[in-house]
Amino acid sequence: MNRRLVAGFLFSLLPALVTAGEYDLTVDRVDIDTGEFVKQGIGYNGASPGPVLRFKEGETVRINVTNNLDEVTSIHWHGLILPFEQDGVPGISFPGIRPGDTFTYEFPIVQAGTYWFHSHSGFQEPDGAYGAIVIEPEGREPFRYDREYVIQLTDKHPHSGDRIMRNLKMMPDYYNRQQQTVGEFFSDASEQGLLTTLRDRMAWGNMRMMKADVEDLQGFTGLINGKGPEQNWTGLFEAGERIRLRFINSSAMTYFDVRIPGLNMTVVQADGNNVQPVTVDEFRIGVAETYDVIVRPKDAEAYTIFAESMGRSGYARATLAPENGMEAPVPALREPSRLTMADMGGAHDRAHGDMAGMNHGDGDNSMPSDMSGMDHSGMAGMDHGAMARDQSAEGDPFYAKGSGLLPEAANGGKFLSYADLKAQKPLYENRAPTREIELRLTGNMERYTWSINGVKYEDADPIRLQYGERVRFKFVNETMMTHPMHLHGMWSILDVGAGEWNPVKHTVSVQPGTTVFMETEVDATGQWAFHCHLSYHAAAGMFRKVIVEGGPEGSGA
Amino acid sequence: MTRIQTITSTGALVLSLIPMAADAREMIADHTARKQPLTTWGIQFEELEYRYSDDDEEVGVWSADAFYGTDDLKFRWMSKGEYAIDEQAYEGLENQLVAQTPISAFFDAKAGMRFDTPEGPDRTYGVVGVTGLAPQWFEIDASLYVSDEGDASAELDAEYELLITNHWIIAATLDASVAFSEDRQIGVGKGLVSTETGVRLSYDLIDRAFSPYLGVVHERKYGDSADLAEAEGASAEDWFAVIGARIAF
Amino acid sequence: MNASKTLAAMAILSVSATAGAAGNHGNGHHTANSGEAGKASEASRTVTVEMYDNYYEPESISVKPGETVRFVVENKGNLVHEFNIGTPGMHEAHQKEMQMMVEHGVIQGGTLNHDMMNMEMGNGHSMKHDDPNSVLLEPGQREEIVWTFSGANAIEFACNVPGHYQAGMYGDIEINKGD
Repeated sequence: MNRRLVAGFLFSLLPALVTAGEYDLTVDRVDIDTGEFVKQGIGYNGASPGPVLRFKEGETVRINVTNNLDEVTSIHWHGLILPFEQDGVPGISFPGIRPGDTFTYEFPIVQAGTYWFHSHSGFQEPDGAYGAIVIEPEGREPFRYDREYVIQLTDKHPHSGDRIMRNLKMMPDYYNRQQQTVGEFFSDASEQGLLTTLRDRMAWGNMRMMKADVEDLQGFTGLINGKGPEQNWTGLFEAGERIRLRFINSSAMTYFDVRIPGLNMTVVQADGNNVQPVTVDEFRIGVAETYDVIVRPKDAEAYTIFAESMGRSGYARATLAPENGMEAPVPALREPSRLTMADMGGAHDRAHGDMAGMNHGDGDNSMPSDMSGMDHSGMAGMDHGAMARDQSAEGDPFYAKGSGLLPEAANGGKFLSYADLKAQKPLYENRAPTREIELRLTGNMERYTWSINGVKYEDADPIRLQYGERVRFKFVNETMMTHPMHLHGMWSILDVGAGEWNPVKHTVSVQPGTTVFMETEVDATGQWAFHCHLSYHAAAGMFRKVIVEGGPEGSGA
Repeated sequence: MTRIQTITSTGALVLSLIPMAADAREMIADHTARKQPLTTWGIQFEELEYRYSDDDEEVGVWSADAFYGTDDLKFRWMSKGEYAIDEQAYEGLENQLVAQTPISAFFDAKAGMRFDTPEGPDRTYGVVGVTGLAPQWFEIDASLYVSDEGDASAELDAEYELLITNHWIIAATLDASVAFSEDRQIGVGKGLVSTETGVRLSYDLIDRAFSPYLGVVHERKYGDSADLAEAEGASAEDWFAVIGARIAF
Repeated sequence: MNASKTLAAMAILSVSATAGAAGNHGNGHHTANSGEAGKASEASRTVTVEMYDNYYEPESISVKPGETVRFVVENKGNLVHEFNIGTPGMHEAHQKEMQMMVEHGVIQGGTLNHDMMNMEMGNGHSMKHDDPNSVLLEPGQREEIVWTFSGANAIEFACNVPGHYQAGMYGDIEINKGD
């Protein structure tokens, strides 16, 4: 490279330099007050959640992170596309930030939208080490709003992450207080008959699995922007305004079903990428996902933002109101969810020998719907209308047919499905994948072991990808739990059967008993983490390192 | 180029060095705790109770368990004691140290040593066994012992929990032992030696960490073992009312 | 969904489309409060409206009461968009019809299924989107509307493709009663 070229290269960096933003974050021990209990946790700049970091697309950011803890820490910028050394996973991206040290992250912002950041060390994230990221686009947003709020959800538990993990290892049902009881047996028996109920309990007992195994971790207080239900975080508005709500699920373990009684919500973005707007009454937000919605309260009334956990063991609540102090009724929790044999997909399959000839109480022993209808290699001529009809006829294709987890809107209206998500603007050219990689999501609830293809991270070789590939990942969920799978560094193009309009995400939920496909354009050299984002599943081994080999020289720059 | 621009471009030079340094592509190896087998531990008192028998006998009893290890290899210390309050003597006192490893989805194999040091003669045993969760939620612990006297015996522990509510729990337990040869010194006759059957109603007061309970326990000795007990003036069959707590931490 | 169900749903759609359209066209003696179709020869000026994903440029237009405006509407986005002049209430009613058009595969992201639109449904109904106050355009398409404004307030131009209006794809028509 000659001198002139270098000078030209440097000059081209100038605009980025001019808009470089510098940020300072300290990692601190903090007190977290949920209104129901106060606990010691970890936060940023003295608080949990940490500050909302506001970046602008096109700028280069420098973030100085000072570790005031007595243990190694790290910050992962969840969903951001950046050089792998900046991705913040100790042991994969970098060695971590030692106590007392300051580490300076520096990377260009090449995207816009709602994201978040969190520690990737130990259980610091469930202990409170998380915050929101809002990136303003270079151009205009493809939608309009008068004001915006970050709505960051979490499931704050009185126990520390270490203790929760130990308790789950000691007694996997330690935190499950929704187990089936004698009372439920009798009420089921009176509804469905004694024999049917008995057969049902025997079938589940044979598998040594629990219908009530929807949430591993109960007993939490749902927080919105760090406030418990009683503390009632409130966002102000004037009647008639359009409000953009940036929902981020920063929970360790909890999926939330979100609704605002009296308002419908137009989903305009998922995982930071704009989607074709879809108006819904309620949506389910997986752990680590984000959804941006626009609401338009026409009246000067208070509205409750109600986020009920998927298993109905807890909730978070906040309020939108014309003035502080106003509040709207807080709905009651719905009945706890129960898994069905349909959710048992793989497990059911394996245990089937023992249950030959058994008539399952749920009346549905169908194998998982593997969405074979959605596996289109040539999607060009696909009839989207037919797809929509399938949905209305058979429910959400991203749940096993007959699943006990199938969500329904509390008001009987529209509940968002992955199948409703269509990219607003395709990020990549649609092309056929170069190869498929099957990842079976596996585990054993009774041992609280979680793995991929039956192998825990500690025993696993990395997944090796070649730069320039388009890999089709096939997730087969053989467990009875929902797993939010998160690939770092590269986008996850979720196959919803919409071809080039398939939405681009960073976290893909795979429901029990289902098979879900996502494709990744392998365009980021380096090594990346790929894992279930449920904190205790990832720690138990549902985790992989991905190595991307090859690529242009200096592609990490 | 003005001075300010020059300074700025010097800044850019420094900046550009960072991505250039990254060209070295330092693919570090993961030596973090995440890449290591997860080591965990737990301590539980399945029983910690006061027993009052139909013969007005008072006994303090515990059955405790502490483990340390990984999914693949755990070390477990199990301790059981029966302390006769009037006699101020241990009717039973056994400690087992075993290593255990998974052999199937729901069962572990275990092997180790058992040390019995009650009032009276001591015994040391080698132990092998299986422990795990049987279909229909029966917790099973089956052991085979060979003592330092050369006597072989077997023991089966089974437990079933019935949830009245998610906090009120009835636990039914069965503990049966069989001897393959006689060991008169410790009151063991050949054949079925004894059973202990219990039903306890507990309430989870603090998480699952502290659960007080009330219950009934039936102890019975059989065959030669019963005769040996009666010869010593003890009863071959007892009913107890029990009060205690299940503890985990 | 089988054929008979589809037909039944289409029948419902065609009925609702008729009901929704009744205020805008038909026998020529209606007085819709948004105005009425005008003649190109009477247009005082031409306003070009570009449609993107999912917004208009411009986002507001000022007209005089009784003015006839020739709109040249061009879809510069990658998705199907509508340009529809009406009151918020009319838009809301029309959104239900558009929802059905999506559910029945008439609107498919970036394309329109013209066969489905033109399908004769009996009783002279079809899913044609041919009301004079609106155009529905595929990416790259360009069409004109000539509209005479009545002078009533609260008129918007809007895209009623499901979700687009809610996300903010609308523009205000300011009735300039001054001078």
